[in-house]
Amino acid sequence: MGIGLDVGSTTTKGVLVDLSRTILASALIPTGSSAPVAVRRVLEELSQASGKDLAGLPIVSTGYGRTSVEFTHEAVTEITCHSVGVHSLNADIRLLIDVGGQDSKVIKIGPNGRPTDFELNDKCSAGTGRFLEVMARVLEVSIDDLGPLALQSTSPCTISSTCTVFAESEVVGKIGTGVAPADIAAGAHSAMAAKVGALARRVGLTTPIGVTGGVALNSAFRHYLSKQLDSPLWIPEKPQLTGALGAAILATK
Amino acid sequence: MLEGHAASENGRLAWITSGFPVEIPVAMGVGVNYPEQYGAVIGSQKVGPQICGFAEEMGYSQELCSYARSSIGAARYPEKSPLEGLPKPQALLACNNICGTVLRWYDAISEMTGAPVFLFDTPPTQGKQTPHHREYVRQSVMRLIDFLSTTFHTTFSEERLREVGNLSGKGIDLWTRCLKACRNRPSPLNCADRFLAMAPIVSLRGTELAVEFYQALLEEVEGRVAQGLGAIRDEKIRLLWDDIPPWFTIFRFFNGLAARGVVFPADTYTHAWSGSLSGADLVDSVVSVYSNVYLNKGLEAKVDKMCELIKEYSLDGFIMFSVRSCKRYSLGQLVSKELVMERTGVPGVVIEGDMVDSRLFNDAQIQTRIDALLEMFI
Repeated sequence: MGIGLDVGSTTTKGVLVDLSRTILASALIPTGSSAPVAVRRVLEELSQASGKDLAGLPIVSTGYGRTSVEFTHEAVTEITCHSVGVHSLNADIRLLIDVGGQDSKVIKIGPNGRPTDFELNDKCSAGTGRFLEVMARVLEVSIDDLGPLALQSTSPCTISSTCTVFAESEVVGKIGTGVAPADIAAGAHSAMAAKVGALARRVGLTTPIGVTGGVALNSAFRHYLSKQLDSPLWIPEKPQLTGALGAAILATK
Repeated sequence: MLEGHAASENGRLAWITSGFPVEIPVAMGVGVNYPEQYGAVIGSQKVGPQICGFAEEMGYSQELCSYARSSIGAARYPEKSPLEGLPKPQALLACNNICGTVLRWYDAISEMTGAPVFLFDTPPTQGKQTPHHREYVRQSVMRLIDFLSTTFHTTFSEERLREVGNLSGKGIDLWTRCLKACRNRPSPLNCADRFLAMAPIVSLRGTELAVEFYQALLEEVEGRVAQGLGAIRDEKIRLLWDDIPPWFTIFRFFNGLAARGVVFPADTYTHAWSGSLSGADLVDSVVSVYSNVYLNKGLEAKVDKMCELIKEYSLDGFIMFSVRSCKRYSLGQLVSKELVMERTGVPGVVIEGDMVDSRLFNDAQIQTRIDALLEMFI
């Protein structure tokens, strides 16, 4: 068995796999203010869900907090872990777009499941989950309702995707002029898809394209990204867990 | 620095850009100081944000080159700057073969110090330099001699230029041999070593001192090669570095990677001082060397250089530092990265930051990118 821990900026994920790479248990909780506390809670959840004693099992940690896991056996970047995780679920994927809470990355996956090239978003939260969180707050809807709201739009408005802070004031302006919330939400998703699409083109589009990360759960983002890339997208059942899954697989080796 | 002060007190000091044909002022008895190197000093003293901040208070944008900002900031408040600023110049010699910012930067310094600016204009070339282009740059050499003669009441002698040119050539030759020694496994020098050891080839080019320095360095480097002594303890991965280094974290950065077995036997930056003045027509040689630096020659020249270094130094991959300040050096890195990967088959990564302004350097983001690159070699 092996444990993978993905300590992200927004959520901490854990996956327990056996040697045949079958997922025995998984957990996902908000990272909060303390990564070590979140890690301990995830391990407890994995132990409870699987009914197994996890003591002494190999652990690989990943995510921005990967080095803060004191009992990890190895810290591996989320770029490698997502590649390995996605490859285990769908070995055909050659281009992976992962959109997390505070970064987005595009990874070219080699036939062996390892990354061969990658790009991460620049120093800006536009193009990450944070952008959508800010938009949801301004529109006064929950983050889960933002995608469905956007899909109701018949006339998406244009929103700048250069900067989250500027986009926020732009949205406030649009609300003031009476633009429908659905059209604003659609504009926000479209802007974000354009930003992520540009990052993907930088690496080079190779189909089939996989999308992971929490933002992959958002139906409007998937719709606009698919349109932007002019390609269908493959989404795993639990897109937030592929990093932890990859880490867990690496832990078994 | 002390020589700079002495020259300034005697009314014979010029500030000069790193790619300027320095052999001419040196041959005419003019002392030179390098604001870009002073910027590196400010960076390595970790006071970049503070000194750049002085220029920002004056209204200069944070988007402006941090060498320019730190130079302008230090000229505004020398008493609050490392080494109390550079000595006061009597002339400012700018060559735009490295970037166009230098001209406006020196204009700003001119307003503050009253020293006149001389622009040695080397229009960028794509492919082969045309005859009229060469003639134009040649005229700049003539104008430079006139300018220095008038400003510093000195005379030009071709014989003296040949002497300085010979010394410059000797220094460059020794330095190039030190660089080439890094083709060996293990590499006798790492990136930070070269970035420090390059100082004389930039600022003392054309002097005996530089020749002596590189003779001693070459001896040490060849000694290390003979004994099989590497710059780092356990060399596993050999990478190419592109662009100016982050001066404020140069040891931490490269030593951190060295501890993981990563060495940088070559970089594009320290290989930039490689052209010697030679031949019967020295002025023509000045034209060739100084208008053909690769930053002045379009993207293809730089891509070629990177591919050549990767092959020659048997490198496994490359890191391109996208320096926010240095548009001329960093522009096109994303495209270059693709081209170099395609041509050489080795992976590379672009990281972002700055050479002086540590506010633009995000450690966690850089670490993730570099870690992911290194994981590709496992």
